[in-house]
Amino acid sequence: MTEMTALDTLVPGPLSLAGHRLGTPQQAGALTMVPISGPGRPGFVPPRTGLKLSRVTGYGRLELRNGAADGVAIVPLHIGYVQDAAQNHALCRSAFLAPGQTLLFEDACCVQQSQGGYLAGRDQWFFVLPAELRARALQLRGVHGYAKLWGDIAELNRRCGLPGRGHLEQILSRKRPVLTQFQSRLEPQPGQVGALFLVAGAFAGLEICPDPRYFAEMWPALACFAYGVAAWRAEPAPAPAAPYDAATLAELRGALDRDRAARLAGIAAALAASPLREAADVQEEERYLDLRLSTVTGPHLAGQVVTDGGRAVYASLFAR
Amino acid sequence: MDTPTLLAHLQTHDTPLTLPRGGTLRWDDADLHRAAHAAGPEHYALLALAPGALPWQRARVLLQTLAASQAGLDGATRDTLARLARVLTLALPPAHVITALLALRRLRANHKHTTRTVLRFVLEHPDADALIAARRAALLDCFEHALGKTAARGCARRIDGGDTGSDYLRRRLLRFLAAPAAAPARVKALYTPAAAGAGADGAVAGAARALPGEPALTLDTARTRPPTVTATNRGDIAAALVHLYRGGPAEDLYAALGRYVDDAARAFPRFAGTVALVLDASASMRGYGEREWAVLSQAAALRMLLSRICDRLEVVEVGGDERAPRGATDLAAGVLDALAAGPDLVAVVSDGYENRFPGDLARVTATLPRAGVTTPVVFCHALFTAADDLALRRPAPSLPQRGFWHQDDFTDLLPWMFAHSPAGRPWLRTALHARLDALDRQADDLTTALAA
Repeated sequence: MTEMTALDTLVPGPLSLAGHRLGTPQQAGALTMVPISGPGRPGFVPPRTGLKLSRVTGYGRLELRNGAADGVAIVPLHIGYVQDAAQNHALCRSAFLAPGQTLLFEDACCVQQSQGGYLAGRDQWFFVLPAELRARALQLRGVHGYAKLWGDIAELNRRCGLPGRGHLEQILSRKRPVLTQFQSRLEPQPGQVGALFLVAGAFAGLEICPDPRYFAEMWPALACFAYGVAAWRAEPAPAPAAPYDAATLAELRGALDRDRAARLAGIAAALAASPLREAADVQEEERYLDLRLSTVTGPHLAGQVVTDGGRAVYASLFAR
Repeated sequence: MDTPTLLAHLQTHDTPLTLPRGGTLRWDDADLHRAAHAAGPEHYALLALAPGALPWQRARVLLQTLAASQAGLDGATRDTLARLARVLTLALPPAHVITALLALRRLRANHKHTTRTVLRFVLEHPDADALIAARRAALLDCFEHALGKTAARGCARRIDGGDTGSDYLRRRLLRFLAAPAAAPARVKALYTPAAAGAGADGAVAGAARALPGEPALTLDTARTRPPTVTATNRGDIAAALVHLYRGGPAEDLYAALGRYVDDAARAFPRFAGTVALVLDASASMRGYGEREWAVLSQAAALRMLLSRICDRLEVVEVGGDERAPRGATDLAAGVLDALAAGPDLVAVVSDGYENRFPGDLARVTATLPRAGVTTPVVFCHALFTAADDLALRRPAPSLPQRGFWHQDDFTDLLPWMFAHSPAGRPWLRTALHARLDALDRQADDLTTALAA
């Protein structure tokens, strides 16, 4: 693995990633992030500034609006909204919203078991469901039932040492100070459009966005919540620093370089062994002009991708 | 003992000296103070003036300095120690000073410099009347220990008989004082039991008076902190930089910035050496939201200040640069690049988020001694406030580290940084001497007011 490696040589999976390249990995505790640069695709509305939650019409029914005058919005997979004094909801699937369009998601899931009230379109911040919940949430797309994810959330809470309730806010808000540090512990590169995430050395997810602005707006939700929760649970204890075997500064620099090269090779090996290389079923779900939204399902991989003429525009694929 | 270790001890070891009734002095770190004093009495004593040294540690330095003989010291050093002792007696809480002076008696330590300092505290302290009213017995013990019981009582008898300037009084007592006119009334007060008479200030003595708690001189100015820290209320330099980074009017801001840096630099002597600054200019240093630019602007302020103070400053930026912070944080390679400049000191300035790769800075700095590198490396933690959670932000825990978030913190940070380098010893000496001179002038003003 070099400083910049073509992504499609490492990840020859079900979609074309030609033009996307991997940058130098970064690590924060158990979380490794490999930056992805690539061709920016204009004409897509970013999720924070363009896509708005307009209202929740009932438990499990959430309405989004693309308020931009032009540009299609790709709803990020498993986006969720948090607001004080209202029940937090997350979506189980991605979707297209044309400019000015409003779309009601009737298969949203409530992620706050004991909180009443409906979300309204003010004072919101969004997250992406933790990786531990994503495969189940994707499986439940199209299923109506606001409480459908509570059991899985309760189990995740138990694994986090928290009360076993279907209350994702226990993690999102109570652990927010430590989770949001991933936003600073890892630092996106200029022009970055995506990232590969590894947790404790194993592939956790691939995220590709249409352009750097879209990715920048997704970054906190991805780093802190989608992958940060698993990384927080696996945070290694601080280890004593073992000196290199070096008798001069030049030898020390050489030892550091060799050590880093070995670690990069380890990351490349982990990616090469990732489920991204496995054969997977690709099922088209939606169209918007030449764009295709598909669900990817493999033995150890799931997620959704948006392609344009076979080229990846958006991807959110995760280990299952 | 090396200077950083001693300085850290003075700033962190916060246990009182105690004198149990009928027992021996409890001084838990006496060996450390004696060893440090033996290694260099002046350097040791001046460190008591370092910003942030704790009152009980300053009291120990006062005790050690007064207890030790000055045989073999030159006149300049004796003068420095005398001035320092006087300053400490005025700048410490009076109760601390009284404990140190009583400890001298328990240690049976007395010298001419001890006598002078004790007498000036007992008889010339700006709050001497109140001190005598509150702690007459203790101060009488100090007085009689300083002069010797026979001489002290001889002076008291003569004063009681109306003597104000006899040869006996001058030789035994008055020659040690700067404002002898005030002494007779206070000596009388020392020998007048509280229940039977009046205090030297004329007030009727009755129940024990409260001991004045506040020192007459201020060593460390209490800082006022804003209730809410923002990006622009962290000192003038950083505030101007934040507005520049945000795209404010460059001409006005640059002019003000120059003035602010000049003002700040005037408070410090020049460092006759080379500092290599590894400046973290990665994306996290820029921050986001309401905190955007806050941390980086203070790091840049430190860089600008050092550029005015140091004969040579080498800056190794990591990630992007001050105006365009971006990308990952490779502190280990930054330190190796900094060492290539042959500096006297390497200072890493970072928020502590090391991600390429975490642990590399710790491994590299742990290897430096075996690679034959003796250049000290210190870690200056760039913070948003003093309350930042650093649990995940200590990339090299074994490195000496200190945080800063406000421009006022440079007052503590710079002495701490330079103390780690042998080349910094003259800087520290000059800085602390300047501090002593300023405090000594204030002490003179107090004595002048007393004489008037």
